[in-house]
Amino acid sequence: MKLDMAFINIFQKTHGHQYADADDNRTVKVQIWDLPLRLFHWSMVAAVSVAGFTGFVGRPWWLGAHVFAGYSIGILLVFRFAWGVLGSHYSTFKSFPLAPRGALNHVRSLLRRSSRAHTGHNPVGAWMIMALLFTLLVLVSTGMFALGGQEGLGPLGFLVDFQTGRRAADLHEIAAWALFGVVATHLLGVFVEACLLRHPVLSAMITGNKWISATKARFHRRSYTARGVGLLAVTTVVLLSGGLILASNPPSGWMLVPAPAAYSAECGSCHHAYHPSLRTEKSWRSMMSNLSEHYGEDASLDAETTTAIETFLAANAAGKFDTEASWRIGRTDTRSLRITDTAFWKKRHDGIAERVFKQSSVGSKINCNGCHGDAASGRFADQNIHFPNGDKK
Amino acid sequence: MKPRTIENPRPMLIIMALGLSLLPIDGSASDLRQQIFAGYTQAAKSKTPDFAGFSAKRGQELFLSRPAAGKPDTPSCTSCHSTDPAAKGLTRAGKEIAPMVVSKSPERYTDIKKVEKWFRRNCKGVLGRTCTVMEKGDFLTFMSNR
Repeated sequence: MKLDMAFINIFQKTHGHQYADADDNRTVKVQIWDLPLRLFHWSMVAAVSVAGFTGFVGRPWWLGAHVFAGYSIGILLVFRFAWGVLGSHYSTFKSFPLAPRGALNHVRSLLRRSSRAHTGHNPVGAWMIMALLFTLLVLVSTGMFALGGQEGLGPLGFLVDFQTGRRAADLHEIAAWALFGVVATHLLGVFVEACLLRHPVLSAMITGNKWISATKARFHRRSYTARGVGLLAVTTVVLLSGGLILASNPPSGWMLVPAPAAYSAECGSCHHAYHPSLRTEKSWRSMMSNLSEHYGEDASLDAETTTAIETFLAANAAGKFDTEASWRIGRTDTRSLRITDTAFWKKRHDGIAERVFKQSSVGSKINCNGCHGDAASGRFADQNIHFPNGDKK
Repeated sequence: MKPRTIENPRPMLIIMALGLSLLPIDGSASDLRQQIFAGYTQAAKSKTPDFAGFSAKRGQELFLSRPAAGKPDTPSCTSCHSTDPAAKGLTRAGKEIAPMVVSKSPERYTDIKKVEKWFRRNCKGVLGRTCTVMEKGDFLTFMSNR
């Protein structure tokens, strides 16, 4: 049916957010999803894909990309919540048909394989969006807690202790599987709407437009693009600068401990000078008392130097730190006193080819900083793992 | 000939200190090295009346020998320092060791405490005993002449 654009235009200009009160059966092309909402949707698809891929199949050193995607999702979420108030009609939460009865009726009609087309979200779709946004919010929050607690990074690094971060990481994983289910349901819904019921939901999310009965259409007389771009810019600047300010604080449970010159000179002449948080005080004292039999070599020192080094190591042993390395490796005593004999070390380095350890830029398994760029600080963040020569696990 | 070992290093250190005190004190690396040589020479003379100087050749033989009498992982000097003393070595932990020869590592053999520390540790690790003054002098002569 031919569209009477003149009518629409005049109507839009004079009434703005108003129902059309035309009483005929004409269908008109109306923008349902404003451009900012569509850009939000597809940006979210991209960011969730990157986060999902790097999270589910990625190696630990992909954490940087995963976290970047996570921050993007966080910014998009805050934008979406604000857009739920400031956006055009169908983007606002108050337009969502969230009444439980409506959703129930919609499911019933779906089971009868008939469903009328909805202008904005259908009742199940509206709940779907809420489930998606809520799950994503849980994911971003638990992700930032996990990043802060386990890696000592991100805006919550200064706040969250390791054990809290570990619990957050468990929740993060559960939420990730939940999102997997919610996204699958969302895609199933789109499939049902687009392919079985032949409602043009997919083209609507691309062009923004739907052909709907003129009697039901709600028009907005102006473009929301400028407002959307402005809101996204403000959201990004506020969250990014706030996040950067928070992230600039030193992580909780970690401090810079300058090693005495003797430690770097003596211990560091044969091997990487391990961060003291990687062994317990007991282990360090035991090691320092038997330097003449040091892993097959005589590493004995004069009494004065021995005391100086032992004092430093004991004062900064694993118990003084709240980092992932201090918990998973440092607090675990091994009979050999070796770091590489701890279960966590073995698990995390399982499957790395011998040649990776033996190549000249690494040298051996006990040269942490062959791959861990931040080994000297004791922080061992996943994203600071750099395999030399592009070698991968 | 049974290798002479020094059970009590204190008299030797006193002799070395006396030897050092006879030399002009100068900060340059080669002067510091000369002082160490002078100390070992003094000690060797007092130990062996017919001392006829250190030998780079004996030093080389020691460096390249494979006594395998100390710790099992370090049967010879070359286990870590490589057979070419002018090349870089590698510790068992995988850390690079600067070349042993003075021409490549001019900062070497300028601190008597450091020199004695490494002789003490590595002679025990490779030879299973402490080194004699003669062996130390020969070794340093070989490394300085290369």
